[in-house]
Amino acid sequence: MLIRQILMAIIGLSSGFTVAGGIFAFIVGLGIIPRFAGRTHTAHRILWYEDCVLAGGALGNLMYIYQLPVHLGKIGLGFYGLFGGMFVGAWAMALAEIVNTIPIFERRIKLREGLTAMIISMAIGRSLGAILYFFQGW
Amino acid sequence: MSLKDTLYLKIERNTEVHTTEVRLGDVAKLECSNKDVVNRLKAMKILTLSDAKRYSRNAVSVLKVIEQIHSIYPQLEINNVGETDFVVAYEKEPHQHKVMDFLKTLLVCLTTFFGAAFSIMSFNNDVQLTKLFSQIYMLMTGETSNGFTILELSYSIGLTVGVVIFFNHFGGRKLSVDPTPIEVEMRLYEDDVNTTVIEDSSRKGKNVDVN
Repeated sequence: MLIRQILMAIIGLSSGFTVAGGIFAFIVGLGIIPRFAGRTHTAHRILWYEDCVLAGGALGNLMYIYQLPVHLGKIGLGFYGLFGGMFVGAWAMALAEIVNTIPIFERRIKLREGLTAMIISMAIGRSLGAILYFFQGW
Repeated sequence: MSLKDTLYLKIERNTEVHTTEVRLGDVAKLECSNKDVVNRLKAMKILTLSDAKRYSRNAVSVLKVIEQIHSIYPQLEINNVGETDFVVAYEKEPHQHKVMDFLKTLLVCLTTFFGAAFSIMSFNNDVQLTKLFSQIYMLMTGETSNGFTILELSYSIGLTVGVVIFFNHFGGRKLSVDPTPIEVEMRLYEDDVNTTVIEDSSRKGKNVDVN
């Protein structure tokens, strides 16, 4: 019995390590946090941002696994939705960028002007998609 | 000044200035056995920027600097040991307001915190972690999992320790002397920005260069 518990502990620990490495390397590798820091001119606070990712990852995981009750009310939910959404929005754009979707399209269809319009349409498209998804209850 | 003098010129890839009159000493390190040359050249004005915008990034070629040095010391031999193209970033106010700075930091902190929480939760949800864990538990023990087994506990510990090791620091304490992944990523991003500024303005013919 004990050996099984130990074996499961090893499985759990190593899965945790691996998932942490994978997910957080992904977040860092996409380079959205340097962008946030660059945009806001706060590169000297970069260690804080890392701490926030660290804390967010660890606590979010605990909340999910143990279904921890966090009584922050609707305002807390609003914060979670707003900032989580901003992060995912930046993430999705970074993902599109890392595979060079936009530059390739630009070259293929010989697009010279209108990059701004393209980016704005992309943002609006994303928001509409999200709204549709939620309202249809998919 | 003797004919044999050699000036060693080293310019950093990116320099931030807060005045519109940029002097060579602001952007470059100079070395020459004739100290008068160094002092004279450090004060030499190499660039006048427009103060129309609060921020601007200007790509400059080292050839322009050499041309200007030669207009003062035509005989001087110049050895460039730094960049061939560099960026002069102009910012009107040296430091933004403390309050704004704090608010921006708070904004990024909130985004990264909730974003990371959301990411890990959506990952767990995506792979149906709870279901997978109870299946593993069933396989290993033959009993039904109540959701609070050793697997969930050790996974949570493993994940937390994994992130701490990955980011290489906990709070202000670094675990090793290596820079953290985001610090590395920040430098890479700055390099990319500088390269883009230089190549973009050279393609558009906007960089400061000799004819």
